[in-house]
Amino acid sequence: MPMIAVLVLLIAPLLAGGLSLIVHRSALLHAINLTSMSLLVTAEIMITRTVLRDGPFTELGQLVYLDALSAFILFIIGAVGLACSLYMRSYMDDQVARGVIAPRRLNLFFFLFHMFLLAMVLATVANSVGVQWVAIEATTLATTFLIAFWRRRESLEAGWKYLILCSVGISLALFGVVLTYYSSLHVLGNVSEALNVTQLLPVADQLNPHVLKLAFIFILVGYGTKVGLVPMHSWLPDAYTEAPAPVVAMLAGVLEIVAVYAILRMRMIVDHAVSPSFTGGLLALLGFASFVTAAFFLLIQHNYKRLFAYSSIEHMGIAMIGFGVGGPLGTFGGLFHLLNHAFAKSMAFFAAGNIHRRFHSVEISQVQGLAIAQPWTAMALMISGLALSALPPFASFVSEVQIVTALAAQGVPGQWLTSNGGMVTFALSDQFSSLSLTGLFLLCSVLAFSALLYRITGMVWGTPPEGIVRGEGWTLGHLPIVVLAAALVGFGFFLPQPLRQLLEHATQILLLH
Amino acid sequence: MQISPHIGSQLVDLCSALLLLTCFAIVAQRRLSACVDLFALQSAFLVLTAALVAFLTGNPHIYIAAALTGVIKVVIIPRVLKKVIERLNVKRELVMNVNVPAGLLICGALVMLAFFITQPIIPLGFLLTRDSLAIALAIVLIGFFTMIARQKAVSQLVGFLVMENGLFLGATAATYGMPLIVELGVFFDVLIAALIAGIYTNRLQDAFDNVDTNHLTTLKE
Repeated sequence: MPMIAVLVLLIAPLLAGGLSLIVHRSALLHAINLTSMSLLVTAEIMITRTVLRDGPFTELGQLVYLDALSAFILFIIGAVGLACSLYMRSYMDDQVARGVIAPRRLNLFFFLFHMFLLAMVLATVANSVGVQWVAIEATTLATTFLIAFWRRRESLEAGWKYLILCSVGISLALFGVVLTYYSSLHVLGNVSEALNVTQLLPVADQLNPHVLKLAFIFILVGYGTKVGLVPMHSWLPDAYTEAPAPVVAMLAGVLEIVAVYAILRMRMIVDHAVSPSFTGGLLALLGFASFVTAAFFLLIQHNYKRLFAYSSIEHMGIAMIGFGVGGPLGTFGGLFHLLNHAFAKSMAFFAAGNIHRRFHSVEISQVQGLAIAQPWTAMALMISGLALSALPPFASFVSEVQIVTALAAQGVPGQWLTSNGGMVTFALSDQFSSLSLTGLFLLCSVLAFSALLYRITGMVWGTPPEGIVRGEGWTLGHLPIVVLAAALVGFGFFLPQPLRQLLEHATQILLLH
Repeated sequence: MQISPHIGSQLVDLCSALLLLTCFAIVAQRRLSACVDLFALQSAFLVLTAALVAFLTGNPHIYIAAALTGVIKVVIIPRVLKKVIERLNVKRELVMNVNVPAGLLICGALVMLAFFITQPIIPLGFLLTRDSLAIALAIVLIGFFTMIARQKAVSQLVGFLVMENGLFLGATAATYGMPLIVELGVFFDVLIAALIAGIYTNRLQDAFDNVDTNHLTTLKE
């Protein structure tokens, strides 16, 4: 059974991508897309059941490795992917009807979309860190034309910037992979399995710590570029502004998380040889840099897509802080936060796509009276905005509280600063640093919260400008918005049993490895 | 024919040094087509290095990687780039963010930095060709620097490809090649990336009448 599920996972997007190139009716394209996504979700459910029952397993001759952590990432890919596919049904048809894109270009769009999905699935299930690298670079290549899909000057600019920055970042990660291989050759010999997670984990404590430290830094910087961590984030706001809404929902909801997953996988290996406070300290450092920078940039945004883009950087920073602080609470909170962010952010970009089609502007000042013009979208924007500002009763409030509690209790592992840095001479006492960092965390949360809410309420209330059509009919594209909203509220009170188990098992894997 | 391992490792070091030398030539070169030629030359040296390592170790899959490098990086990618350059209005890099003498000095410093970073880990390798790791990192850093220092899309692409060459040298020399499946995947990615970047250059040329990435400033805070 798991074998079939894994095959479906890989073959469904491949087949759908191929079919997308030869089919010409748009209804058929959407049907293929939805069928492939449903197959994907079914396969993921089967895999989750297997993982929860029997634990981790390998498939296809050691090529595929699945455990609770990768099953959790697959769950996010499936859930957000399915929501996007439903949303695309009305979004893309509308764009074709308005003449924004030629009907023929839908083929290219769906082909690239499926290749993007395939690459992300491959990056999640790959056993070898090398294959994972190849798959993550493939996501860059598949998405660059999706980002530049409108072919305006600005979108070409955003696509080029994305391609160059991410390719360079990813090249650095490849150097990290080469270094990992360099260290594993000693122990495992020159065999093709020497980069497999299943081979590396049992012998990880024999690997050379100096080489692994260097490898981890390269990999963190490389994949961190894909996550959009400060200071490697400059491509992100541009790409999120220019890309079509469903594509951004996938970029923000899923791709970032796959890149985080790649970092966490590497960390599991490195932590065996090096003390976890080294990797944790680095993660928390980048997390804080992203969180603080994004919180301040949120204040000065006047474009709602850029606003959500900076909010992505902020939330990835928060999750990184969670992983960096570690412990059961921090790690669980980090994983849970990834899930909540994926749901809230994809919903926010669905709303943004609807607003853009109605108001023809991305400027916040041009959008008013959304509650009258587009009541459904206004509701979606409000809910995602509240969830992104981490207010109760939303699930993101729960995960953020978990992370900040862990931070206050344990502080950031900072011993590496004094033991490895050499140049860093100011050694703060543990108590003080954890207190001040918690304060900083809360301050930035308040900043982000007020910036988001101030902007969003300005868009929702008031009267719509002249010439804007009022009223909004129900389409298939509204279904994912309602479901995601329900999940965001629901998860705050009650996590369904399988999902809770999955999260707990994944936390265990990250803690014990 | 047998070569003593000592001489073999010296030869590999020599070839790696030639790769590094072409990096400096690329940094000093303003004409775009000459940059592409130099990149092709560097890739040819890379093929030589890989073939040498394959011969010394008797690893057949390094021969495959060397042959692929030859086809993709010496023949296909330079041809595509030449085609792209033919369409451009401006064939020389007129304004650089860093001028040539300063650029060369910075690259010298980058080489020292690379040796400094890799010094503690090189003795840990047990392979004969492990010294090339430092040169590989130096090439990666210089490629990175080229991408920052240049403004033309084509020269940024050449910088990226130089980085890839450095990575491949590191993988071949320091670890006798990555697992074949990974290496094939990397080649595939690099090829597609170069093709995509070529398409972009054409579109940017059409949209901006110029491929000076300095004009790409619409999206600013």
